[in-house]
Amino acid sequence: MTDFAHRGTIDPARGGMLDAVERVTGRIQYTIDLQVPGMLHAKLLRSTAAHARIVSIDTTRAKAVPGVAVVLTGADLAERTDIQPWYGPVFRDQPILAIGKVRYVGEPVVAVAAVDTDTAMQAIELIDVVYEEIPAVFTLDDALAENAPLVHEEPPLVGQTFADLIIDSEAGTNVCNHFKLRKGDIEAGFAAADEVFEHTFTSPPVQHVPMETHACIADVRDGRVTVWDSAQIPFVIRSQLAEIFKIPQTRVRVIIPMLGGGYGAKTYPKIEPVTAMLSFFARKPVRLHLTREEEFVTITKHGVRIKLRTGVKRDGTIIARQSECHFNTGAYGDIGPRLIKNGGYGTGGPHFIPNVWVDSYAVYTNIVPAGAFRGYGVSQAAWAYETQMDMIAEQMGWDPFAFRMQNLLEDGQTVMTGEPMFDARFKELLDRAATWIGWDNAEAPARNGSKVRAKGISCIIKGTVTPSTSTASVKLNDDSSLDVLTSSVEMGQGMQTSMALFAAERLGIPVDRVNVTAPDTDITPYDQQTSSSRTTHAMGTAIMGAVDDVRGQLRDLAAEELEIDADDLELVDGVVRVKGTPDRAVDFGELVRRSRSGNLLGSSTFRSEGGLDPETGQGIGSVHWHQAAGAAEVEVDLETGKVDVLRYHAGVYAGRIINPVQAELQTEGNIAFGLGQALFEDMIFDNGQLQNGNLADYMIASIVDLPDDMHPDVLEHLEANDIHGIGETSLPPVMPAIGNAVYRATGVRITDLPITPEKVLRGLRARASEEAPAP
Amino acid sequence: MTMQPTTGTDPAPMDAEGKSTLTLHVNGRDHTVRARTHHTLLEVLRGELGLTGPREGCGVGMCGACTVLLDGAPVSGCLLLAGLAEGRDIVTVEGLEGADGSLHPIQQAYVDHTAFQCSYCTPGFLLATKALLEEQPDPTRDEAKHYLAGNLCRCGSYVKILDAVMDAKGRVGPGAAEGETAAD
Repeated sequence: MTDFAHRGTIDPARGGMLDAVERVTGRIQYTIDLQVPGMLHAKLLRSTAAHARIVSIDTTRAKAVPGVAVVLTGADLAERTDIQPWYGPVFRDQPILAIGKVRYVGEPVVAVAAVDTDTAMQAIELIDVVYEEIPAVFTLDDALAENAPLVHEEPPLVGQTFADLIIDSEAGTNVCNHFKLRKGDIEAGFAAADEVFEHTFTSPPVQHVPMETHACIADVRDGRVTVWDSAQIPFVIRSQLAEIFKIPQTRVRVIIPMLGGGYGAKTYPKIEPVTAMLSFFARKPVRLHLTREEEFVTITKHGVRIKLRTGVKRDGTIIARQSECHFNTGAYGDIGPRLIKNGGYGTGGPHFIPNVWVDSYAVYTNIVPAGAFRGYGVSQAAWAYETQMDMIAEQMGWDPFAFRMQNLLEDGQTVMTGEPMFDARFKELLDRAATWIGWDNAEAPARNGSKVRAKGISCIIKGTVTPSTSTASVKLNDDSSLDVLTSSVEMGQGMQTSMALFAAERLGIPVDRVNVTAPDTDITPYDQQTSSSRTTHAMGTAIMGAVDDVRGQLRDLAAEELEIDADDLELVDGVVRVKGTPDRAVDFGELVRRSRSGNLLGSSTFRSEGGLDPETGQGIGSVHWHQAAGAAEVEVDLETGKVDVLRYHAGVYAGRIINPVQAELQTEGNIAFGLGQALFEDMIFDNGQLQNGNLADYMIASIVDLPDDMHPDVLEHLEANDIHGIGETSLPPVMPAIGNAVYRATGVRITDLPITPEKVLRGLRARASEEAPAP
Repeated sequence: MTMQPTTGTDPAPMDAEGKSTLTLHVNGRDHTVRARTHHTLLEVLRGELGLTGPREGCGVGMCGACTVLLDGAPVSGCLLLAGLAEGRDIVTVEGLEGADGSLHPIQQAYVDHTAFQCSYCTPGFLLATKALLEEQPDPTRDEAKHYLAGNLCRCGSYVKILDAVMDAKGRVGPGAAEGETAAD
């Protein structure tokens, strides 16, 4: 039966989604579902050249197509003084449409808005572009070679950016940023080591594949910019559009409906600038919705190469680590120049290492731009150090579990960025993982016909963006219901439900009396970003503060009303009452009415403090450290090289769990995400041309790829009185846990993701030929 | 899936926009829509009928987000030309709820297990589940898993989805099918 009582509530002990009914009826609204009257439809013509000068663009025939409103090129934008045609969250290095040259295959060159998508597509097909190809760089080696062609000849424009950012570009090269970390004395560390291990690990670019591709509707008229957008970061979209149109931020309104997945793809401007520009020229609302093929050439996870040197002592301690990390950031910086910091310091790992030296570089190349991706550089770092941990243990004859347990950080020991660790749970997490999987270093691989089984483990550390800021406000209505105004984005993580649970619990009202808004920058207060696994902690803290603000007002109003000292009052179950005299009470709603304010407004800001020294990378890397461990049991077919993951344990530290089901779902989601990256996800480029940019050729994990036995282990310690983000945390352990298990099963050590059957078979053959007696 | 030509020998006349008139039987009712010959069923359901449950995920029939039931069988709305769906019985997620707004038992099972995160893929999974349980009322977990292999969920809610499917099979009785016939 449909009734109001049945909908919009959950059992807080189990959790779930307050809007579950809208989700199963298909009524929930994503950006693609919105209709704005008079809306035009956009299509983009994308570059077919990887690196080329634009000789000419002929749009004559396209403009003549009936129903075409606007045909726009980069030259149209560059000639105007009222437009800033370059954007980007760190460097303003990306043109809204290619200006002068193209830098990757797939870059938008011409944009069309027309009455419908058929007409826009017809116009696109009638545009002729002449390119003059110039030498391109695709790989890190290409880009770092002496006298390599430059992706950007001019130093990129820098604009207002993030408080935590460190910029150190190398002019005249393709290095767009360099992050340094110097902890302790690296020379002395290696001098004191009994053994030094050096290995190189690589991870390929992969795509986020949110089921909802990027979508945006822009309405730029009468000096106002309004966008409805599938973005994780409304206030950066707003500030960038204000900068592009050279108008105050108050003239830009960003509204974010539900997201059909984000995973980092929807952080920072992607399609908003071009959609808004089309609307500006057309003087009508314009809608752009990317095809899956276009999504693949919009943003990726960074392909990364990490050279890792680790010095150990014979007693099993790690004494020094040096890493050189090169992140292939593609043709435009996006957030790459900032991500290399987290990925770089991330190579320090969850172990206490007194001497650490990191050089981490973002490198421009002529491929699809790379940016934020669930894990934010830490997946690539963890793939390197957690694989190397097993390689070292084997060489030294140690148990990989015991070797890790000996070195995992404890409270008070300094992390790689120099601050002391607190609330360390690494050992507990790894111990639980090892226990669940049944770890026994002496256990031989189990052979059954052509198939062989073995187990692998891993443990990781991940920071969350620090310093950072979130503001929330609440409105208590005169019927004791509460509106929570927040700019955090609901993208499937259950943010709106978690925030409602926080507010309801803090105020002492039922959760079905709480409404949590979606972001609307005209109305909802500032939030830095819905990313970095920060929302529950950061926005949750802000919302509790805003509720406390209202609680204080209620207490003061009741003190006046009841003529009693505010300290003698308590707030319980929707009333303010005199301590010890429960019948002397007044209802929240009644207090609101008597205040004659209409509603009581509360607000609060969460601000985390910290940051790193630009020369040493030392300081406060993270407000607290996210912690996770993984354990995998795999079965490898020695005849085909195929790897099946049979069992997987994902352990993650939550501090306090807010929404139990959602915590489990996010952790299971990380297993699926990581399994694909471990075994098959890989964007394959041939001379800059993506070869598998669609879901027929690019595989993501389906229901049959998952292990039958999955164990999300969300660890709670209420006494810590903290809330840790878990959206990404259990992802980075997946790839090395699987890789380590594959090695223990087969003796084949894969150091370049993904672990494909071809690589395993090649490794098995190499081993067979090594072992075969010389003829 | 078998394709049958539309009834009649003459192609439907086109208007000035190159569109012709089609009659589609969707969720128990006939709808008259205008579409170009290359328009897919997905485009028409969304654009002409305002049904937002079927969603494009890949455009090549690989992800299942646009799944609809065609004479009871799950098909990708992004691959089927709208004209070829004339005369067929089309069910979208919007057709699952009862006339009184009550959830279908499969929808309720998905709610009870929170078998989604972003839920973009959920309508496709629900319809695939319905088709599964009609073909095979008592599937094993493994059978259910293989049946749903053509639907992708990037959030990775697969465990809870399977839990919901295994729970739903006990809830979907002959009554559910009757309700649908009544709607026709």
